[in-house]
Amino acid sequence: MGRSYFVDETVEKYLGGLLADPGSCVTGFLAGQSSPQRDFVVLAVQTPQRESEGQLKSSRGSGPLDDIDVEWVTEHARQVSRMLPGGLCILGLFLVTPPELSKDAQNTLKRLIFAMDKCISKGRLWELTEEDVTDRVTLHICSKTKKTVCKTLDVKDPKSSAKPADWKYQTCVSSSWPMLTCSVEVDLQIPLTGSSSDNTDKCMKDCLTRWAKQIEAGNCLISGRQALDDSELISAQKKNLKTTHRQTFPARILVSDEQPELDERSSALVQLCSGSVRVRGVVHCRAYIHNNKPKARHAVQAIKRDIINTVSSRVEMFLEDLLISEGSRKGLCTGQQALPRRVFAPMPFSGLSVCDYMFPDESTADVADRLKEMLDWETPEEDIDISLESNQLFSPELEMTDSHSDDSRKHVISEVQVENPHIHKAPQYYAGVAVAATIALLATATSLLYFSE
Amino acid sequence: MVYSEECAIIFRLKGILEFACQLDNPNGSQSQSTISKSFQGLRSKVSSKNIVFTVCNSPILIWPNTGFQSSMESLTEASACGDILQYIESDDGGSKKTLKKKDKKRSGHTVVNLKLLFEVTDPAGNEAPSLIRVDTQQHCVKMPLHLDCVLSVTTEESLASVCTGLVETLRKQLAEMEEVVQRYRKGSSFLVPQPFHFQLPEPAGLTTVIYPAGVPDSQLQAIREDLHRKFELPSDRPYLRRANAFHFPDVAYKDGYLRNPHIHLNPPNIEDAKLYLVQGVYIYHHYMQDRVDDDGWGCAYRSLQTICSWFQQQGYVETAVPTHTQIQQALVDVGDKEPRFVGSRQWIGSIEVQVVLNQLLGVTSKILFVSQGSELATKGRELANHFQTEGTPVMIGGGVLAHTILGVAWSENSGQIRFLILDPHYTGGEDLQTITDKGWCGWKGPEFWDQNAYYNLCLPQRPKTI
Repeated sequence: MGRSYFVDETVEKYLGGLLADPGSCVTGFLAGQSSPQRDFVVLAVQTPQRESEGQLKSSRGSGPLDDIDVEWVTEHARQVSRMLPGGLCILGLFLVTPPELSKDAQNTLKRLIFAMDKCISKGRLWELTEEDVTDRVTLHICSKTKKTVCKTLDVKDPKSSAKPADWKYQTCVSSSWPMLTCSVEVDLQIPLTGSSSDNTDKCMKDCLTRWAKQIEAGNCLISGRQALDDSELISAQKKNLKTTHRQTFPARILVSDEQPELDERSSALVQLCSGSVRVRGVVHCRAYIHNNKPKARHAVQAIKRDIINTVSSRVEMFLEDLLISEGSRKGLCTGQQALPRRVFAPMPFSGLSVCDYMFPDESTADVADRLKEMLDWETPEEDIDISLESNQLFSPELEMTDSHSDDSRKHVISEVQVENPHIHKAPQYYAGVAVAATIALLATATSLLYFSE
Repeated sequence: MVYSEECAIIFRLKGILEFACQLDNPNGSQSQSTISKSFQGLRSKVSSKNIVFTVCNSPILIWPNTGFQSSMESLTEASACGDILQYIESDDGGSKKTLKKKDKKRSGHTVVNLKLLFEVTDPAGNEAPSLIRVDTQQHCVKMPLHLDCVLSVTTEESLASVCTGLVETLRKQLAEMEEVVQRYRKGSSFLVPQPFHFQLPEPAGLTTVIYPAGVPDSQLQAIREDLHRKFELPSDRPYLRRANAFHFPDVAYKDGYLRNPHIHLNPPNIEDAKLYLVQGVYIYHHYMQDRVDDDGWGCAYRSLQTICSWFQQQGYVETAVPTHTQIQQALVDVGDKEPRFVGSRQWIGSIEVQVVLNQLLGVTSKILFVSQGSELATKGRELANHFQTEGTPVMIGGGVLAHTILGVAWSENSGQIRFLILDPHYTGGEDLQTITDKGWCGWKGPEFWDQNAYYNLCLPQRPKTI
């Protein structure tokens, strides 16, 4: 028995409205939520066009299918997956082809799905559990007949073949999905052993992974109750309320400082470090859960993963950005620097939200541009909520060092450095290949958003 | 023994706090104050509104520092802390009713275990995260502090005062840990401070002492002397060695042996008789244990093992209880036996027990000789004195058997006597019910002894040390 995908009819409209040049293909991703019994698709977005200065689009292969830039498609999916709040993820890809290419479409989709999954799971700090659905959906649409073929591929098993799946359109799939929110204080002290910036990245990743495990192991309270067993999220009495509006549940996370690797020692672990990095601040988190008898523990998992993702995404983005701007591997400079802050905007069509990360020198106009590019959707600037995380930086208290004078302490905590304005205007969206060229300043013209080779 | 209605509850709060600090120069003068500042930070952390107590095996959560919030509406700050008990599920699925009434009487304490957690949601501000990089070469020190606080209260005490008491105890424990860390620090070598609980005579009661990990008891003599003075403890018996640590009634022993099976027995009904029993904890060693088949020849060895376990449990020695082979080797080492004795199934007697106790444990023993079993009935005063002053288990060998005497019930007026016997000839498993029901640990009258055989008793003397 195959999987069933319940798809919002706005997605149907979007897919129907896609224009493809005759003979060419359109790719894009599908996003939503999987549950063990069924899956929900709430968003479809086509891959943005990639323009390059020299026309590299001379046929390399035997047709438009081979021309599909796998890296570009997967990179788009990877960047968008950072924009999805907890509970939501990229469920699969769609491909629109002219009738003559339909027979090869499945192979292309298979290639794309596996590449995309590999790309998305790279930076992940949490492990998949047995309950996580590893099937990804592929939707093939014939541009002439509009006929759709829906199949699933299990990304756990590269040798498996595609299985048929149901694709059903429904109205308002996600309108009553409950939302969990919380604000989490993060304060990580990361000692840096070694001096190369590769080492810095590794130290930071190790520390973040340990922190992620703490969050995963923590107790979670939803609306004041602990989800201890297999209970449902919305108790029986609340179900009787015929609510069409979205319920919001505040979540609370309680952690303990377990450190199994240090437990058996009779003396402290002392490392000689070349420096340290501290990540400190408050992150605002959100997760959605479907409303088909959701279990409390799935909701807990969704919000915990969002907490972990938002911190790791920002750090990742910051370091990626640094890599572009510095060019050489100079690494982090001393002092305090703001990580990009999270802002929320309404998701196309559904009532859910998406998020984006705004660097200190950016404005809502920049965010709107990025949303347009990534999600193929116009967002009025006033709909972008930037109030949830403040752009004030906390003032660090007494540092726990034994520097000899107050002066030296001031020395290490310099003022907030405002990054070179050029860098942040560029979207996070780039092909992942080594970039050497300078980045153009953002203007309204979208063409300036792409790197020159 | 009067069963008090207001029985004590011990609240035990455990949690882990990571101690971390960065030292520019571990040997410099500034490091002490840096370490101090880190500890101060930890004390603030436990006083902050983010700490949460969770009651183990229950759905109860308490925020002690936010004007007392609890996750259970029926538990408020004014509730009696004994009310918590009804929400706790015991591990065996049943309720406290399954515990035999007399066992509950004897253990006297109910333990409520709490775990320390920190809330990371509900922050003070909403500043988005930033990254701060410091580029000085530093020594980064990290160690987990295993906090373990106890508070002994009556069931009527209010929850609010229990929580305040626990927070206070946390702060105090951190201060004591800091002291231990600073005292034993050598440059960048830090010893982990570990809490131990001891049941001291009133008025001290259940007391917690912090010892540095890795430093053996033998090197902590001076600390113990100070504490003995502080708590007005006699200076000739150990109360504060690590092995003497209080055993919480709800924690199972990991080794699977039975300890003090005699406490489950009813004393014999003799008019006027007083009980003189072994003091402290011993382990019941008997035939067939540890996969050694010594059925028929090992009884004195097992009695010796029980005695050795007593010295180990009370903290006089740190060595493990010797095996049959080790006992035999000890006798060879002192020249008492030929080398081929090792590995044999030869019996030993009280004299050999005395020799081995001296050789392996440094313990001296007195030997009491009785020419006829019937005479044992007249030894009431001597045995009573022994249990009062030394309190060690006694090995008795005679006829063809060896036993352990754990105490006497003796009337000074009538001379009537009963002996509390621990029988090493038991070949079954560690089944308390069988052992007490079938008399493998039980009270025996003077007729128990072979009236015509002669007996030797080995009375181990307690070393006068702390």
